[in-house]
Amino acid sequence: MGIHGLHKLIGDNAPHAIKANEIKNYFGRKVAIDASMSLYQFLIAVRSEGQQLVNEAGETTSHLMGMFYRTIRMVENGIKPCYVFDGKPPTLKSGELAKRLERKKEANKSLEEAQETGNSADIDKFSRRMVRVTPQHNSECKKLLQMMGIPVVEAPCEAEAQCAALAREGKVFAAASEDMDTLTFGAPVLLRHLTFSEARKMPIDEIHTNKILEELGLKMEEFIDLCILLGCDYCESIKGIGPHRALEFIKKYKSLEEIINNIDTKKYPIPENWQFKDVRQLFLNPEVKDPKEIELKWGSPDVEAIVNYLVHEKGFNEERVRKGTDKLEKHLKSAVQGRLDTFFTTISASNTPSKRKAEDDKKKATKSKKTKTAETKSAGAKRGRPKK
Amino acid sequence: MFEARLSQGSLLKKILEAVKELVTDANFDCSETGIALQAMDNSHVALVSVLLRAEGFDPYRCDRNMPLGVNLNSLNKILKCAGNEDIITLKADDSGDTLGLIFESPNNDRVGEYELKLMDIDQEHLGIPDTEYEAIVRMPSSEFQRICRDLAVISESVTFNVEKEGIKFTSSGEFGTGAVTLKPHTDIDNEEASTSIELTQSVTLTFSLKYLTLFSKSTPLSDQVTLFLSDNVPLLVEYKMDDSAFIRYYLAPR
Repeated sequence: MGIHGLHKLIGDNAPHAIKANEIKNYFGRKVAIDASMSLYQFLIAVRSEGQQLVNEAGETTSHLMGMFYRTIRMVENGIKPCYVFDGKPPTLKSGELAKRLERKKEANKSLEEAQETGNSADIDKFSRRMVRVTPQHNSECKKLLQMMGIPVVEAPCEAEAQCAALAREGKVFAAASEDMDTLTFGAPVLLRHLTFSEARKMPIDEIHTNKILEELGLKMEEFIDLCILLGCDYCESIKGIGPHRALEFIKKYKSLEEIINNIDTKKYPIPENWQFKDVRQLFLNPEVKDPKEIELKWGSPDVEAIVNYLVHEKGFNEERVRKGTDKLEKHLKSAVQGRLDTFFTTISASNTPSKRKAEDDKKKATKSKKTKTAETKSAGAKRGRPKK
Repeated sequence: MFEARLSQGSLLKKILEAVKELVTDANFDCSETGIALQAMDNSHVALVSVLLRAEGFDPYRCDRNMPLGVNLNSLNKILKCAGNEDIITLKADDSGDTLGLIFESPNNDRVGEYELKLMDIDQEHLGIPDTEYEAIVRMPSSEFQRICRDLAVISESVTFNVEKEGIKFTSSGEFGTGAVTLKPHTDIDNEEASTSIELTQSVTLTFSLKYLTLFSKSTPLSDQVTLFLSDNVPLLVEYKMDDSAFIRYYLAPR
């Protein structure tokens, strides 16, 4: 999924591009969420005793549960989410999709085996792998979101690409997905872990593309080539080139064409019929709806419709659903508190840290024996971190 | 090398009390001209800016600019160990790894020495443009604190309505409404109790009371508070200690 090893590569080579934040920090922000990705997460993660949640008729409700409560959690924190659903997959993805289908079949086989031997851990593992998001899941979630007053966007093609386009146009502050290729599609800011459960206490990763490019010393086109080289969903990559070498080659040769011309093709066999040019085009000009024409509107929720749908059709607990809709009403209705950074300009924060970094290096050189930690504070999740 | 001696140590204690609930970590940016702190709260709704000019210290020495990244709660705990009358000296060597604090009692018979571990803090700095405000209201800081406290009972937010004749604070909530009007007046005997309004245009703005209540924690620092308001611009709340120090809060309108 996404770009192979990109997160680690960014973490290692452009550490300032990733910031860990609490959900509170996104107060007042509009965010475009890759719905298919979230649905998948919900179907896998929202479970009770290893089984998906179902209503009396045996229909899965995990996705609705996840969608309902996690959206409320975002709204409660002052975030204005909008969901973007996948359209048809791009033709270039057919190879990847075939592979995934193959893996599903294998998982199915293993599941049957596990069920025969009665190994419950394995049953659990493989049944999670069997999870598929069906068109029915999609349409149920869209229905629910519309009742909740949350805008839904249908992408003509890949949802990540549409999220990225919305963020680039400034319609939303950031794209939220777990897929790193959202960055390759040109999202200025990517949020990861936004739709994760609160219980996991996972900080939200905020990744800035301009910082990545700055710190890696790449142009956007070169970054896209780097992602293709790392391995994406749309074509094969060159065997034998790991993240390290990929970055090194891109920096040296600047483009995939030059890399092919210059490297030892015996050592690094180029895949047959490699369609990297098409993939590059796909990343540069993905098929998206013109974000200028999309209007995002947050309405007030239709409480009775939600109760009717979730409680009477899907067997949710009425009291809890009503509590949820109360929160939704309160926060979607209340006047929006403005953020200061819409009034004041941020002075590039990179000035000071880079200066300090240089000083740090100097410091290390002169007296490396000095080490210290600030145990007094669990700094990890906060903005600060103890000096090393 | 950085060293600053503050004869009125309680000033620092009060500043910490006034800031620590709004932000948890911040950089004290030390330079030749003084110590500055600028930080936003978590949700980027409010900003606090503190300036302690070098003239306020005796002596003051700062050889090169350095940020001292501080966990404000920890610093506050250490400052609690200082007496109200104590003279406080802040010290840091060029590595900027720790902040040294020395508390001397006024008659010099007791010296406390403390050290605070510093942190690397990535902080976004905001450029604050110079603004011509449409309304400037000076009033007793205790009065401002009381209004915030009183109206917080009614609602989460308050509307400021500034006219020539006075400033009106209005809140309306689930069970009722409340309003307080202050009229400009000059108290000759007691200048601190005066209220004045300068105005080019009447202004109506709504703000979150939660933040205003946090701002009013600065009340012990100054008898007077000044509110600067303009339509569609963040509110500026300023507490001026004397010519050498101030604490300013900015709050985005609702």
